[in-house]
Amino acid sequence: MENFSLTRDELIQLTSDSFLITFNEDLNFEPTQFIMIETPTSIVRKPFGLGRWYGKLAIGVQVIGPGTKYIIEQRYLKAHGPCGKGFTPPSGKGAVIATPACLAIVFDMHRRFLCDVFIGSLEKLKIEVSFKTVLGDEEFVALLKSLKAYDWFFVVGSDQMEKVSYNLLKDKGQVFVSLNEYMACGVGACRGCAIETKHGLKHLCVDGPALRGEEVWN
Amino acid sequence: MELKPPIVIASGIGGMGEYLKLIEPKFIGAYTLKTITFKPKKGNPPPRLIATENYLINSIGLENPGVENFIEQLKSGQYDELFERVKIIFSFAGDNFEEYEQVAEKMAPFQNKFIAFECNLSCPNVHFNPLSDLTTLKRLLSSLRRKLDIFLIAKLGIEGAFVESIAKLVELCGWDGVTLINTIRALHVDGERIIKGGVSGPILKPIALRAVHEVRSKTKLYIIASGGIASEKDAEDFFKVGANAVSVGTILYKDPSIVERIAKNFS
Ligand SMILES: Cc1cc2nc3c(=O)[nH]c(=O)nc-3n(C[C@H](O)[C@H](O)[C@H](O)COP(=O)(O)OP(=O)(O)OC[C@H]3O[C@@H](n4cnc5c(N)ncnc54)[C@H](O)[C@@H]3O)c2cc1C
Ligand SMILES: Cc1cc2nc3c(=O)[nH]c(=O)nc-3n(C[C@H](O)[C@H](O)[C@H](O)COP(=O)(O)O)c2cc1C
Ligand code: FES
Repeated sequence: MENFSLTRDELIQLTSDSFLITFNEDLNFEPTQFIMIETPTSIVRKPFGLGRWYGKLAIGVQVIGPGTKYIIEQRYLKAHGPCGKGFTPPSGKGAVIATPACLAIVFDMHRRFLCDVFIGSLEKLKIEVSFKTVLGDEEFVALLKSLKAYDWFFVVGSDQMEKVSYNLLKDKGQVFVSLNEYMACGVGACRGCAIETKHGLKHLCVDGPALRGEEVWN
Repeated sequence: MELKPPIVIASGIGGMGEYLKLIEPKFIGAYTLKTITFKPKKGNPPPRLIATENYLINSIGLENPGVENFIEQLKSGQYDELFERVKIIFSFAGDNFEEYEQVAEKMAPFQNKFIAFECNLSCPNVHFNPLSDLTTLKRLLSSLRRKLDIFLIAKLGIEGAFVESIAKLVELCGWDGVTLINTIRALHVDGERIIKGGVSGPILKPIALRAVHEVRSKTKLYIIASGGIASEKDAEDFFKVGANAVSVGTILYKDPSIVERIAKNFS
């Protein structure tokens, strides 16, 4: 864990509101670990999942408010990390399901675990990717229903999309989700990111962010 | 108590030492642990945090393992490395009068490990407010003083009586210092959601400055200033109005390197 600054290399637009940023610096990290990025718009740093884009350290950013808008406009960013517990998949064949802003995370997972990747998006991606991409909610649900012969699934996106995915996939294999909770420290100090699970209280910044869906939902 | 540098990590902000991953111990005068209560506390349900550019509202609800589990952790050596690296202030509270006394009794045998005990009398996220009844407070302060033989700090808020009258009582009861102030009860509207909690961050600075100024003019207590310190200038202002040390809190979540900058400014 360290404090560092990051220098932007490329800013790649993925959809009208989602971007991928690559950096000149490198950092060792495990899948689903994240960094906390400083913005002038908030008194707390904000979490962003670490990934890679053709070898380069990268994050994906969906612009939803002033902090994410600031992040895509900067050349230099201050951050600390890597935070969180890395995700190690169980043995067998896996599929990762993600939104466009999580492309860097899943690109990295694809290379590490040789898993399949599916992207669910509300609009057509502005760049070519080699992963199957489905557009809109109905197609997304149809995709999930069609997935067969996987031992594990990993879903990363919004909490709502993760819950829908969990319900559709839970009988087909082990389902893991990367959960979102408001974070202030990212290092286990503030106790802000606590969630109630079947195994008691967990702090997503140290016990997660990836948990088994069954730990969180029935 | 002499802190070098005169910088304290605020209770709850730094958890149980986790910020030593990001801050060099030599820049920290003392590290206050998260408040420990008599019974274990799960804390409040999420969402527990909401931040803007100049404040944070938290409703953590004093999540902690309770004093007995904490003592087990102490005995198991879980915090040995932490104690080797920095001076530690123990923070404690209870849900009623007796629980404050019980924590003090249980912790008394371990007090030599710490440089001070800070009694949290002002958490806005629990229902018991010891500052609202001065007669009971006086009894509590006297009782805790008898049970503990260590540098004793009362953490006071501004909700209850005027902070300077409570500080006078703290001094009268033989305590050594005060931490001024804690978070203040606040509320945030986020769409349909209402989040209630304690507000902290830069927005607190003028309120905390006034509290330090008033208490300095009426007591000789050691004062740790806490509330909105976010820059070297903020720290200077608090020393000017009479603080003996400054507590670094919410700003750590934005930029942990601030501790080093404030420390260098005072060395
Ligand atoms: C472990 C984790 C990993 C994440 N990874 C990514 C990622 O790779 N790409 C991405 O685009 N987004 C990611 N997010 C979400 C991202 O942190 C928020 O979208 C961002 O903080 C919003 O900031 P804002 O100022 O633009 O919006 P604001 O207007 O400040 O807030 C809008 C919403 O964003 C969320 N949010 C705001 N601040 C925080 C915070 N400090 N912690 C958690 N959530 C917050 C809340 O739901 C809030 O209602 C991740 C969140 C978590 C918890
Ligand atoms: C997330 C969070 C948790 C806190 N937990 C505690 C606590 O357990 N005990 C305590 O005495 N104060 C607690 N506080 C209050 C801080 O110690 C500090 O007094 C307050 O935040 C004001 O200082 P600041 O503006 O520099 O943050 C907490 C504050 C925050 C933001
Ligand atoms: S974000 Fe602070 S404990 Fe998890």
